[in-house]
Amino acid sequence: MEKLIEILKEVNADVDFENCTTLIDDGILDSFDIVSIVGELNDAFDVEISPVDIIPTNFNSAKAMWTMVERLQDN
Amino acid sequence: MSFISTELLLLVFITAAIYYIIPKKYQWILLLVVSYMFYTSYGLKYVGFIAFTTITTFLGGIFIEKTAQSGKDKISANKATMTPEEKKAMKAHTKHNKKLICALILLCNFGVLAFLKYFNFTIENINSILTGVGITQRLGRMSLLLPLGISFYTFQSMGYIIDVYQGKYPSEKNPFKFALFVSFFPQILQGPIGRFDKLACQFYEEHKFELKNIQYGLQLMLWGYFKKMVLADRAAIVVNKVFNDYTHYTGFQVIFAVLLYSVELYADFSGGMDVVIGIAQIFGIKLDQNFKRPFFSRSISDFWRRWHITLGTWMKDYIFYPFTLSKPMNKFGKFSKKKFGNTIGRVLPICLADLLIFFVVGIWHGAAWKYIAYGMYNGIIIALSNLLEPAYKLGLNKLHINSEAKPWKVFQIIRTGILINIGWYFDMGVNFNAAIVMMKNTFVGLSLSTLTDNSLFKLGLLKKDIQILAFGCIVWFIISVLQERKINIREALAKKPLVVRWAIYLALIFATPIFGYIGATSGFIYAQF
Repeated sequence: MEKLIEILKEVNADVDFENCTTLIDDGILDSFDIVSIVGELNDAFDVEISPVDIIPTNFNSAKAMWTMVERLQDN
Repeated sequence: MSFISTELLLLVFITAAIYYIIPKKYQWILLLVVSYMFYTSYGLKYVGFIAFTTITTFLGGIFIEKTAQSGKDKISANKATMTPEEKKAMKAHTKHNKKLICALILLCNFGVLAFLKYFNFTIENINSILTGVGITQRLGRMSLLLPLGISFYTFQSMGYIIDVYQGKYPSEKNPFKFALFVSFFPQILQGPIGRFDKLACQFYEEHKFELKNIQYGLQLMLWGYFKKMVLADRAAIVVNKVFNDYTHYTGFQVIFAVLLYSVELYADFSGGMDVVIGIAQIFGIKLDQNFKRPFFSRSISDFWRRWHITLGTWMKDYIFYPFTLSKPMNKFGKFSKKKFGNTIGRVLPICLADLLIFFVVGIWHGAAWKYIAYGMYNGIIIALSNLLEPAYKLGLNKLHINSEAKPWKVFQIIRTGILINIGWYFDMGVNFNAAIVMMKNTFVGLSLSTLTDNSLFKLGLLKKDIQILAFGCIVWFIISVLQERKINIREALAKKPLVVRWAIYLALIFATPIFGYIGATSGFIYAQF
């Protein structure tokens, strides 16, 4: 989870990833950020995030992203 | 049947009356019948096209789901005897078949759209090449007409088939219910492009009569008609005069026409959207917003999240993400990270995607090089701004500029406004060459005296017309500022005393036909796409 936050900070240092739970709903992350994050997460955690996974539920918070990564790793 | 006609208002009124009287389980059937009646009023010969899309997409959805289910069934039936490799192979086989069906439906429907929209453009360009290489042979053009709303209903339906392929939701099993999704008459002309999971439940559920829906729907329609008839059609006079006769105008006359095009296009399209969304609200159906005060955008990227929003989100979900997350783009991303470092390397696939998306956005507007130029102009600005973001942030730091401070935000809004208006040269210019000539002419005879010597009143609109435009725009600006501050106008109005509310409604009800430029333009600009 810490590694995830590190990666997120690299993509956009100005965002409070530790606490924010409305990253998508409030437009804090745009589609360019999402694509960058997905690319980094795919590399770092050896998963394959697909377009179907790009929904607010999976990206609204760092925790949500981590849950998604763990689920994909289990598959 | 035009959207700006008493027939339409009558149709909506009568349909709504029947809608709330009949048993609620038949409401969607009424909407389907009225939608096809509306569509047929534009020409019986076009119904075949929308029926083709409806039937192919409906069947495609059913078959994709059947394929997925049969694959799952085979695996569960043979769970004990299948090895993991065999299960994986079966899954891949199922996915492959689903992909084939989806691809077939996409090809058929986008194929028809592309053929009708771009065949003649392709022929013209081939002919130009033939001329260029000295061949006298020419390919013949065909007389092709675009069925009403084909760009909109095709995109909306193809979104559905891609969603079903991705397993987002189950396919619709009732062909007539699906037909309503494709043909719903308020959105058939110019969108907004909807999503099945958001619309279907609304279309098929039972709608109780709620006075608020009728009131808010009518108010929104009134505001939309005001924008279209008083502002858009008035501004159009100058825009058409200057753009159609572009060699005769220079300096501030051109700039004035371009700025009025901003007014015309925004008032026409967003006014149309207000009418559409208002009509849908009368039936208790909530359509997606297509505009969010686009001229308050702080960047071109921001602009495309506020202008024609449903086209932008369609591109994002069905082209941008699948493209950038595809295996080839993944590989390209890894390669460019190695070659250009992490920061630039990560951004390059996104830049490529930007250029692709905006090429599509450009060509979506029409089969002409000027539209491609319009798209690429936007795409290049966005791609460059992505690429240069680190350098930009550094620059701001060095100059001690606080990017969240109000003066900087105002600067960004004005800067973006200028960029948007430059783009209009390509959008409204008669053709690509005309756009370039007009850009050059803007700097010819650029003198402040044009603003004071009454020459701006010789472009087709009298002083009083320009005053009406100015007043309307100021009212609109105030409303926009309130909305930007998250104030819901109709709800705020509902809280005001009766006298105040009705003074405003009556002002709009009378101003619209009195000051409306009726007969100037017969339709909405985006209905031609």
